[in-house]
This record gives sequence, C-alpha cells and structure tokens, in this order.
Amino acid sequence: MSKFIDRPRYTCALGGALATLRAIPRAIPIVHASAGCGHNLHNANNPGGGYVGGGYCGGLSLPSSNVVERDIVFGGEDRLREQITTSLEVMDGDVYLVLTGCMVEMIGDDLDAVVTEFLGAEKPVIAVHTPSFRGNSFTGYELVLSALAKKYVAKQAVKEPLSVNVLGIVPVQDVFWEGNLKELKRLLERLGLRVNTLFGEGEGLESIRKAGAASLNIVVSDIYGLETARVFEQVHDIPYITTGFPIGADETADFLRTVAQALSIDPSVTEAVIASEKSVYYGYLERLADIYNDIDLQRYAVVVADANYAPGAAKFLSDELGWLPELVVITDPVDENQKETLLKRFDGYESGLTPAVFFDTDASAVRKYLSKIWPANRNDRYYDSFSPAVILGSVFERELAAEFGYPLLTVSYPVTNRIVLNRAYAGFSGALSLTEDLLGLLVAGR
Amino acid sequence: MNYLEAKSAPAREDRLKANIAYGGTCADIKSCLKSGCFKSGGGCLNLAGRRFSQTQGCQFTLSLAILNTLRNAVVVMHSPVGCGACSISNVGVNKSFKQLRDPKAEGVIWLSTNLDEADVISGGERKLREAVLFADKEFRPETIIVANGCVPSLIGDDIDAVLGQLQEQTAATLVPIHCEGFKTKVMATAYDAVYHGILKKYVRKPDRLEKIWEPDIEKLKEQYRISRNVNVLNVGSMSRADELELQRLLNAIGLNVTFIPCYAEPEDFEYALETSLNVSICGTHDDYFVEHLKETYSIPFLIDTIPIGRRNTDRWLLKIAEHFGLEKEARRLIDYENEQLDKSLEPFRKNLRGKRVFISGGEVRILATAEILQDLGMEVVGFKAHHFDEFIEPMFDALEDIDDVVFDVATNQPFEQANLIHRIKPDIYITHTGGNNISAKHGLPILPLFGPSYNYLGYSGVYEVARRLNRVARNGQFNKKLSQNTKLPYKAAWYEKDPFTYIKQQDAVEQTEV
Repeated sequence: MSKFIDRPRYTCALGGALATLRAIPRAIPIVHASAGCGHNLHNANNPGGGYVGGGYCGGLSLPSSNVVERDIVFGGEDRLREQITTSLEVMDGDVYLVLTGCMVEMIGDDLDAVVTEFLGAEKPVIAVHTPSFRGNSFTGYELVLSALAKKYVAKQAVKEPLSVNVLGIVPVQDVFWEGNLKELKRLLERLGLRVNTLFGEGEGLESIRKAGAASLNIVVSDIYGLETARVFEQVHDIPYITTGFPIGADETADFLRTVAQALSIDPSVTEAVIASEKSVYYGYLERLADIYNDIDLQRYAVVVADANYAPGAAKFLSDELGWLPELVVITDPVDENQKETLLKRFDGYESGLTPAVFFDTDASAVRKYLSKIWPANRNDRYYDSFSPAVILGSVFERELAAEFGYPLLTVSYPVTNRIVLNRAYAGFSGALSLTEDLLGLLVAGR
Repeated sequence: MNYLEAKSAPAREDRLKANIAYGGTCADIKSCLKSGCFKSGGGCLNLAGRRFSQTQGCQFTLSLAILNTLRNAVVVMHSPVGCGACSISNVGVNKSFKQLRDPKAEGVIWLSTNLDEADVISGGERKLREAVLFADKEFRPETIIVANGCVPSLIGDDIDAVLGQLQEQTAATLVPIHCEGFKTKVMATAYDAVYHGILKKYVRKPDRLEKIWEPDIEKLKEQYRISRNVNVLNVGSMSRADELELQRLLNAIGLNVTFIPCYAEPEDFEYALETSLNVSICGTHDDYFVEHLKETYSIPFLIDTIPIGRRNTDRWLLKIAEHFGLEKEARRLIDYENEQLDKSLEPFRKNLRGKRVFISGGEVRILATAEILQDLGMEVVGFKAHHFDEFIEPMFDALEDIDDVVFDVATNQPFEQANLIHRIKPDIYITHTGGNNISAKHGLPILPLFGPSYNYLGYSGVYEVARRLNRVARNGQFNKKLSQNTKLPYKAAWYEKDPFTYIKQQDAVEQTEV
C-alpha cells in the first residue's frame, strides 16, 4: 500500500516512458490521454533533467489525443484511431509508440485492438500501457523498453560473441544519463566488447533493433532495468548480470571484472585496462595532493539520491575521496527485498565507516534523519558538530543546505539549478568530474 | 454571474463559448466577434477541434501556475504521482519571486497523494486525509490547497466532503480546487477554477476591531483611504518590475494599489475587499473573479485592455482615472510619459524598422505586444493565440493595418506554427514559453512573450521590450546554427498542406454511418 509523497523525485509511468523515448530520436510517442499529461510531464522532465529539452519529437510537439469529458463518457477509441492516422501523416518518425494516460485506461479503451488496426502501416505502431497510477518514471522506462524488446527488437538466434547491451541507466531520472552511458561504453569497449547502450551518443533506433544480437545484458543497477533484462532473457534468450552503478576507481574496476568474468575475458586483459585507467585517474587526482591537505578538504557528507547514485556516490566519498558520508537517504519507493540488496552495498567499506541508510520518499524527511543520526547541541560549550559538511542531493535539498550552511551539489533528479550536457559521474572519468564539482564548491570563494 | 453554489467553475467553452481551433485573418476574427459568436445563443466556434493534435496543457497545470505563487501555502495534488510534476520547474524561481514580496517566504511545497492501482479501485480519500494532516503538522502553513486531478474525479472521491470534515482538525484553511484536466479543453478555465476556490475560502470581510466610539474624522479618513484603493489583478507571468511600474503610474494619479492574487497571502484577499475598484490587466484571467466580487460585495471592476504598449497603457490608465474622476491628472501623466518614451525609442526604431515579426501566446497579450512592434516600425506578420473569446475585442483598437494578418487559434500545437513560419518566414519570433524546443529550430531570434524577471508592462515595459528586441535581433546565431544542424519532426508533405488542414468545426469524431 503506497502513501502520499512530499515532493516526488520522479514523475509517473507515462513521464518515464516519454523520457525514455526522448532519448530515442525518430521514435514518436503518441499520447492517448488528457490534454495536459504530455505538457505537464515535459515541464517536469525538461527542467528536472538539467534542461534536457524535448529532443527530436518532444516537448510540446508530442502528438496527443487530448481526450475530454465527452470522450471519457463515450469512449476514446474513435479519437485515438483518428489521432494515430493523422500522426502517421504529419510526424516524421520510424516507429510510433502509443502511450496511455490514466483516464483512457480507467474507461477501458481497447488500446491493443485499435493499434492492431495499424499493422499494415508503413512504419510500426506499438502499444504501451503507461497510466500514471501504474508506477513512477522508472516503471515507464521498463514498460517502454520491454515493449520494444517484445515488438521491435529483431529476433536473432545466433548471438554475436562479446556483444553486450547496457541497461539500468534511466534517461532523465539519471540526469547525467548520456555522459554516463558514454563513459561505460568507452570502458567496456576497452575490454574488447561491442557495446550497445540503446540510447545516447551514436545510438538510435537501429541500435535498439539490433539489441537482440547481444550475448549479455549488463544491468548497471540493483533496481532499474531488471524487468527489461528479464524480458530480453525470455524473448531473446539473452542472459543478464547486475552490477552496482560504478563511481570511481574501485567500483569501476569491480564492474569491469564482473563483466569480464561473465564473458570469460582473459583476466590479464581486464587488469591491464584497469591499470591503465587507474594511472590516468590518479594522474589527475595527484594534482589535489596539495590543496586537499593544505586546507583540509575532508568533509562530512549527506547523500540524498536514487537507488543508483546513493550507493555509488557514498562508497566513492568514503573509500576514495576520504570523506565521511554519515547519512544516506535513498529516495525511491523500494520493497523489502530491494532494500536488502541495496543495504549490502553499504557493507564492508575499506574506510571502516558505515553510513546510516534510510529509505524515504519525502523531501522533508532528510532533515529528520540528520537530527536522528547526529545529536543536537544541547547548549554544550564544546560540541562536536556535523560540520564541515557537503550535501549531494537534488534541488529539493537546497533548503536544508541553506539552513545549515552546507554546500550542495545536485546529482539526483530533479536538478533544476544546473545545465547538464555530456557530463558523467559514472566510471573513471565520471569520478573525476564528481571530484571537480565537489571540491570546486569548496574553493569557489578563493 | 454566480456559480459559487456549484462545486466547481463551469468550463469556458460553455460559459464563454471560447474557441481553441481556428484559422483565418484578423479581419475574420473581428467579423466573428461582430456576428456574435460568443454571445448567448452564439457559440458557433466553441466546438471546433483538431483531427491531429499535440499536447497542450490542462487546467490542472495552469492552476498550479497560480497556486504555486501563493505564500504560506502547501499544495496537495490529489492524483497519481505524475500530475503536477511540472511544479519542479518553478521550485527555485518561485521562491525568489515570493521573496521579492516577503524576504522570509518559503519555496514551493507540494505533496502528491500518489494514487495507485489499488486506490483507483477503492478510492483515494484515505490518502488525501493523510496528506492534508501531514502537511498541516509538518509545515504549519496558513492554507492547504487541494488540487483535484482527473482520476479522483472519475472514481468519485468527494474532496469537498473530506476537506469539510478535516477543517476542524487543521490549523490551516483548507481549499479545494476543482481543476480536473479532462473537464475542459480551454486551459484558461484554470483561472476560474482557482478563483472559485479563492472566492469560497479566502474572500471574506476582514476581522477588524469594532470601535465602540470613533471620531467622525477617523471614519472619514478611513472612507477616503478606501475610496482611493484599487486592486490590480496580477498574473503569474508578471514580474515584480511590472508591478512596480503599474504601481508608480497609479500612485502618480493619487491611487493606492494592492496586487492579488499571485504572490499574495491568503489574508490579503480579505483586506483586498476594502477597495473601490478591481482592475484586471487581462480579460482572459479575471472576469470570473471580478464579476463575483461585484455581485457579492458590490465592488465595481474594469476589464479592458492590458497595459502593454503605449496606447494600451494610455487607455488602461485613462479608464481607471475616469472611474475616480482623475482624467485630468491621468492625461498630464500620459503626455509626460509619452514624450519621454517616444524620444528614447528612436535609436531602436532605426535598427528594428521593417523587421517582420510573428507572435504567439495568450490572445490579449499577443495583440497588445503587437502595438509595441508597430510603435517601433516593425511589421506584424502573424498571430497564434492560445484561445479566442470576447475579451480579444478591445485589443484591436491600438493596431493599424492588421486585417490581413494571419490569425491561428491554437493552444500550443507547434505543428501549425511550423507550417506558418515556413510560409511566412518572419525575421523575429515572439513567443510563449514551452514550445521553444520547436521554435528555436526555425532558426529565428526569439524573444519570450513574457518573463517573470523582466519588465513588459507600462511605459518602462515598452522601453525594455524595445531594448531587448534590439539585442535579440543583433545576434541570432544560436538558433540559426541549431536550425542548420537539427531537424523538425514533421514530414516534408506537411509543409505543403494548408496550415489549418486538421481543424474541424465539430470536434466530435466523425462516426461512420451505420
């Protein structure tokens, strides 16, 4: 039984579906919903995703049936049929995905039946049921990719060896999705793999069409992309592995080793790649030896982020940056099994630290957890305060940051106070960017 | 007009016979107005729709544009988790805008009742109760506003009853806003939906101490004070600079100004009753509110033009002045302001003269802005209006040679815009926010039609718009390069078709004869 949410850090299934399609140029969504759904969701995805924009067919160009009361009373199927027909006339795409909003699902419009009528269309038309009440943005990502896996990805009996797909990085919800995918692709290619990230630089509908040729799906998440991976396993007979979302040298090296093992790649190759990456990485970090120690750039940290970033960032802060991430709040709705899996990611830090980890979807909760884990000053003359500290969170943490005077780096959706283009936080290069941005906050006044 | 007994405000396609799909020229629009399309018994245009449509916004999202500005308020979206997610877009800016009115103001706080599949079957009232009680205890706001979405409306949640019961348990005033998106195709019904809630819950005589005895002179002073008060009904797209300019002008003829509803506190609506005139700056926004205030509290109102452009500002000021018998003062001010402004526009006229401009956005605002363009010697070559109703009528007076200019009525619908721009090939595009993902790829310099951090209104607004147009026109490289390297998502064949191909007079889907 779900509860209300104080400032949700995601939109709905339809929003996630639109965000995912935003990442696939020439895939045209046709929204069968009230007139406001697409508009509202674009105005959440765009600013929350670091101004990701509408893409090829996004924003207010989204074809939408804009059903009104009369359609709800008499049924919206005629209107939908008309809208699909005209969308095929006007919109220049290579595949059309009909997505549903709440109202048309509640009145029982038969989406699948209407879409079947377009079997003979020049370009494929695919139905995806995405009502808001069915789940959040992450659900929408799974629904769209699962539908594409079932109905669009070409069946391929013989798999290409050393060819992999990357799942689990959700466009827009991961504000740095495109940079992250690019970095992971770069690293995996160094292992000699052929890498398909489905979207991002150099990918497109053709990549998705060919995703059935992969011999392994790598899900870079404990939570997201698993549903899609299962569909690929059933429909295309592609096995999958899950890994953490790697930030920094340690986690990325582990990530590469896990993948290499699953594909039986010669460990000496993997270790050589890791060594060369680490040498570049520490070549840069070495620059900080002075300033980090000259002015004591160690900080306490609060991490408020989704199920990918929270474990990845906390581990990086603790074991590589040498910070003290005492409080972690994971902001997605997760079930007990998922909690257990995620909690394991906070075990066994090399630093010996154990962050206090909470699961909460409410924006106002973070402050309460902070006062729970760190005793308040009860007028003591000597008080070991939680400072200096930095918050890694979303823009919703701005108030908390201002209250305590902590610098805030927004890394998790919504990120409305930054422009994000090709920046990454994953992998080796990503960790360098994260270090730049974090320590950059601390020297900004110098 | 009195709809306050009803649960919600009526849709504008019914109340005002407003239209959202029309293609023609300004002359056609004028003749529609003359032939009584919007008068009772008319309504010949209000059923029009499109065979192909793009997402356009709903009254829920537009309601939030106002509700999110109210100070000391928490908004509860009673809906599945996606509705109202667009509030993310003003989480930062609204805080700073509120703080321009009150430095201690908080940012935008909202809750979603996050209705899921189980709630769709068993109802969402439990979650609404929990959310309201949480908001009251956690944030201690002056008011909690519940915006009702499509889903609870369809499953039959009675939010008025729930809030009625909860009111005794909460410190905050609870306000239901019935703004279900599917109830209207005219997004601007949102203004009525919000005002409906405000009228029912915030507007009441202020609780002033009654004095047992008061000297006559004090009473007279109080009466005089009220006789010089006007409320100016602001809109979320206005800036503080706009307000200060209007305040300056009205102060100059001896009037005091209160701005409601945007960025106001709930209590402000009580003191706003101590006024002599409600002044709308835009008929699209306020007629529902001011009509009800007139009916219930006998406060007269003025809905005429929007003070954008010199003539419109002159006219707006004069109309207000007439109400108070201050025409002489107003004329003096108008002459003085015009003289100063006219001179200062000269250098911009030199650069901008002859440039062709297409404008899109709200019906009243685009026509008013066109006046500035004509004042600068620019040529207006096309309009696209969100919708079209009777309030457009006075807006044509300030324009010259406008009859042949194309007029598209479309809430967003960038595909029609793309077709028109392709045909008309303007030099500059002035447009509403939201669709610039498409507009930019036309490669034109763009000036936003409004902006809550810029001045557009009054005399200073004319200068600011001119100054910014001049700047925007000087370098359009960003959009130009974008257009050369990106593609619009429309088929080539679309540009060959008539831009109004998909408009249908009757928006019911044509059924095949059985």
